Amino acid sequence: MFVAILPAALLTQLPILQVAIPLLAAPVCVLFRRGRWAHDFSLLVTAIASIISVALLQFVFNGGVISYALGGFAPPWGIEYRIDSANAVILLLVSVSGFLALLQSRASIETEIPEQKHPLFYTAFLLCLTGLLGVAATGDAFNAFVFLEISSLATYALVAMGKSPRALTAAFRYLILGTIGASTFVIGVGLLYMATGTLNMSDLATRIPASPHHAVIQAAFALIIVGLGLKAAIFPLHLWLPNVYTFAPAVVTTFLAATATKVALYLLARFVFVIFEDASFAGTLLMPLALLAMFLASLAALQQGNVKRILAYSSIAQIGYMLFALALASTQAVAAAWLLILTHALAKGGLFMAVAGIALQTGSSNLDDWKGIAKQMPWSAAVMVVCFLSLVGVPLTAGFVAKWSLLSAIFSTSESIILAAVVAGVSLLTLLYAGKVLETVYLGTPDEQNATANLREAPLAMLLVALLVAAMNIYFGFNGTMLSDLSKRAALALLSGF
Amino acid sequence: MQHHLVLRVIAKLLFAPILLFAFYVQFHGDFGPGGGFQAGLIFASAFVLHGLLFDVSSARQFLPDRLLQVGAAVGVLLYAGTGLASVLLGGNFLDYDHLAEAPTSGQHLGIILVEAGVGITVACVVVMVFRAFADHLPCLREQDW
Amino acid sequence: MNDTSALYLAILLPLLGAVLIAALRNHPNLREAATLVTSVVLFANVCWLVASVANGATPRAENILPMPVSGLFLSLELEPLGAMFAAIASGLWIINSLYSIGYMRANKEKHQTRFYICFAIAIAAAMGIALSGDLITLFVFYEVLTLATYPLVAHKQTAEAKAGARTYLLILLSTSVFLLLFAIAWTYDIAGTVAFAQGGILSGRIESWLAPVLLACFAFGIGKAALLPVHLWLPAAMVAPTPVSALLHAVAVVKAGVFTMLKVGVYIFGIDFLEQTGASQWLAWLAGASILYASVRALAQDNLKARLAYSTVSQLSYVTLAMALATPLGALAGALQIAMHAFGKITLFMCAGAIYVASHRTQVSGLNGLARAMPVTFTAFAVGALSIIGAPLLGGFWVKWEIIFAANALEQLVFIIVMIASSMLSLAYFAPVIGRGFFLPPAQASGDADASAPKEAPLLCVLPPSISAIICIILFFQVDALWRFLELIFESTP
Repeated sequence: MFVAILPAALLTQLPILQVAIPLLAAPVCVLFRRGRWAHDFSLLVTAIASIISVALLQFVFNGGVISYALGGFAPPWGIEYRIDSANAVILLLVSVSGFLALLQSRASIETEIPEQKHPLFYTAFLLCLTGLLGVAATGDAFNAFVFLEISSLATYALVAMGKSPRALTAAFRYLILGTIGASTFVIGVGLLYMATGTLNMSDLATRIPASPHHAVIQAAFALIIVGLGLKAAIFPLHLWLPNVYTFAPAVVTTFLAATATKVALYLLARFVFVIFEDASFAGTLLMPLALLAMFLASLAALQQGNVKRILAYSSIAQIGYMLFALALASTQAVAAAWLLILTHALAKGGLFMAVAGIALQTGSSNLDDWKGIAKQMPWSAAVMVVCFLSLVGVPLTAGFVAKWSLLSAIFSTSESIILAAVVAGVSLLTLLYAGKVLETVYLGTPDEQNATANLREAPLAMLLVALLVAAMNIYFGFNGTMLSDLSKRAALALLSGF
Repeated sequence: MQHHLVLRVIAKLLFAPILLFAFYVQFHGDFGPGGGFQAGLIFASAFVLHGLLFDVSSARQFLPDRLLQVGAAVGVLLYAGTGLASVLLGGNFLDYDHLAEAPTSGQHLGIILVEAGVGITVACVVVMVFRAFADHLPCLREQDW
Repeated sequence: MNDTSALYLAILLPLLGAVLIAALRNHPNLREAATLVTSVVLFANVCWLVASVANGATPRAENILPMPVSGLFLSLELEPLGAMFAAIASGLWIINSLYSIGYMRANKEKHQTRFYICFAIAIAAAMGIALSGDLITLFVFYEVLTLATYPLVAHKQTAEAKAGARTYLLILLSTSVFLLLFAIAWTYDIAGTVAFAQGGILSGRIESWLAPVLLACFAFGIGKAALLPVHLWLPAAMVAPTPVSALLHAVAVVKAGVFTMLKVGVYIFGIDFLEQTGASQWLAWLAGASILYASVRALAQDNLKARLAYSTVSQLSYVTLAMALATPLGALAGALQIAMHAFGKITLFMCAGAIYVASHRTQVSGLNGLARAMPVTFTAFAVGALSIIGAPLLGGFWVKWEIIFAANALEQLVFIIVMIASSMLSLAYFAPVIGRGFFLPPAQASGDADASAPKEAPLLCVLPPSISAIICIILFFQVDALWRFLELIFESTP
């Protein structure tokens, strides 16, 4: 479709435009005086970025790989952007999440962030988007670090803009931990450069087996896993996440929950499967961590009293799921991981959108203040129900497709009933904390009768987007073939080398 | 004006040479050590020096905060815009060959432009950072020195 | 209208009704009319389906919804057992709706719209279970039924109601996810399909020592059949208002459970396979124990609804026992029990609710002399009780008869003893209700100026149980038609 409309010259530049357009748009937002213009402009930019992602996905859908040389310098000496099915899906996820998060956010941004900071907020948001898109699109290890840092620094600024004073401390802690993670990662990349003489990902894949510096490469592997693990909030490097998700502005949490950790996970997968090609070792290392994350984070979620914090721990548990799938390391399992990434973004994104609406109206995100709120805000509550069902993996929702895919992968890879039982058990834990929230929202009686009586439903714009995302959860629950297909192609692309 | 008299006089004398030196370093980057990052830093250091010795806000009159914000944005736009210009002129992003008739001239022009962008941004950002911290600190009065 | 669209309609009609009820939430009378109209139309649709099955047709709808995973598909298929269950559920929905209107209004209950909506969705799920053509479809609707009835159990929103609802949800969901789903996956692994088929799909494909294990996973996974020890959700669900208890215990939930048990026994394992391998012998013993245990527990309950709850646990195990006897006669007797128990139990629950509405009494010990003020209610109760006990002239008699017959044919005398003991125990726990009501003088209330001496319950609370009581009597005499219909299960159809 895009081949017909756009001139050929533009098509070849799509990989860089995916990253360059948000990058150019970010400083433009600084120049705006009004938040309104910045908002609409950012919306336009994310929409364009989404369209570009769709076009890129179309190109690589049938197994093709797009290689783009930055600056005209051919790889492996120049920086290369390399798009295959695996990262095209991630690009789509990031850009569409950015678009939807912005679409639904105007009311909450106006409430949470001081007026004069609005243009700067959108600047930081676009920079974060740029960074994440760059990490996904690049084929150069150091370039990945650069964009990882761009997105992280922008995220620190975004988180610090939250209304609560604790937002600042959450951002600071994230800054410290994130910088440690990024530094560890870049040291690892540096060691790889030292051992092989190249930074290009596909070139590294060829040179690593041939290199005589085994110890250096192993050290690099370890450092890279730790560095990316911190960014991806893999247990036990997840400590920054709950506070960040709880105290950041609502739109930031929605966007981050859908994308940031997933992009780091993608990069980790790229390194493990493509560059190091040592999936079995990673599997042995990462599997126990994944299982611990799934259990402990779900248990922690049960004990929280703040809804955003419950969802934050839930995200850590779900990342455990994705890591678990990656650690199984078969094509089916990697496809299941991609499915989990996509469906989790749908479910968690929808949940945070609904939570944002309810928090906006009630002024609090503590569960105790939400008793019986479903009466005044039935639609937001309904969105929560659908998205929670998808999170648990109830049939007819998108989450079920992912869970089923994971179970099939477990059975065909390891034939272990125990692992399957673990997955089912964690689903039950998920159900428990989902039930806790829903029971309070629907069946709770407010402590003072008049406290919630005057509340109205969330603003229409927020509600419509949240409903759209909830509907997408159901749609993909029925039409799961589209997502399954995408994931399978992504897995094949990932595992067949770069 | 008794305290730091020497420093203040020297600072006023050196202000313009520092700025000039910044430009020198900026353009010297093509041929030797130098370039946008260092130049921007040196440029900003003039203002930092001024701010340390005199009133921070007096410089705001001719270098208002808004200008610094715009400058920071313009610098990035210049850099990315150069890349975009290469695309529009038929090459890849940041492929300077296409910016002029001959590839070498193109490379020359490209580097100058991006370094200029970097210089502007770095200068503006460092001054902004300095001002952000300095604004929060209480000023010692003259008689307390 | 052809058969396939009738299948879809059976599930869609209650869902449309739910939407209509939601739309009419501010007009109570119209809203109630919506429920009644939907239930009548649904019943007509189901009768149509029953008629076509009676003529030998087996309507089937494949791939009704695109399933996200290849190899799994949802399908609907009608056969005599499902047709009977659908007819019972939809017919009793009409009666229960009338009763609900009376009860909810008399008690001035809150959240009535939510009640009727969840009810409609639960009926849709029950229809889905009845009409399912394979285990996956059945599982999906089974879960929907659990989720749709959860708000109904927690209706009163007191701390007690929420705790009871949580137990309900937890037990049913854990058993279904861990055991039932696992059993379905295992079946798929062995047989390559999970579609129901005449004579079962497992024969020859599973070792004879593994068959009882698989059967155990099914038996305990089907939590709604309330087999010991997964029966605990049933007493916990007593916190629900009586129309919900009627739904749970007579119309939909438990019937869905034992219906699933029967379907699994007949169409997945196959009665012949069960007989050859003896895989269900242990289940027959457990069911027998369950019958006796629950009956004894019922004796100890003073709360009327709790007594009826344990009675239900006991009666449900009749179906499990009958199926586990592994003969066609047994399976048919189990199917018959679904019908007879439904009408008997709903009568009993509706009467218990009527007693509560009229006099706010919930304990058996407080029922002295109440029958003088509420003769119709107590008579209906007596009829329902006699049906459960298995007295002649009432439908339940035939069930006892057939199960004893089947046990006799297998020369398993112990189950004949269980049946007889169960009847006597039922008599023992029902007699006090009837006896106190009719034959004991009313106790003097402490503040005697209590001039609100109980009167008969409102018409809409008394009429429905009377109707179902009369049906119990009719079923005694018309059992032949029903039996012949059920026999079609075992007739070989293409």
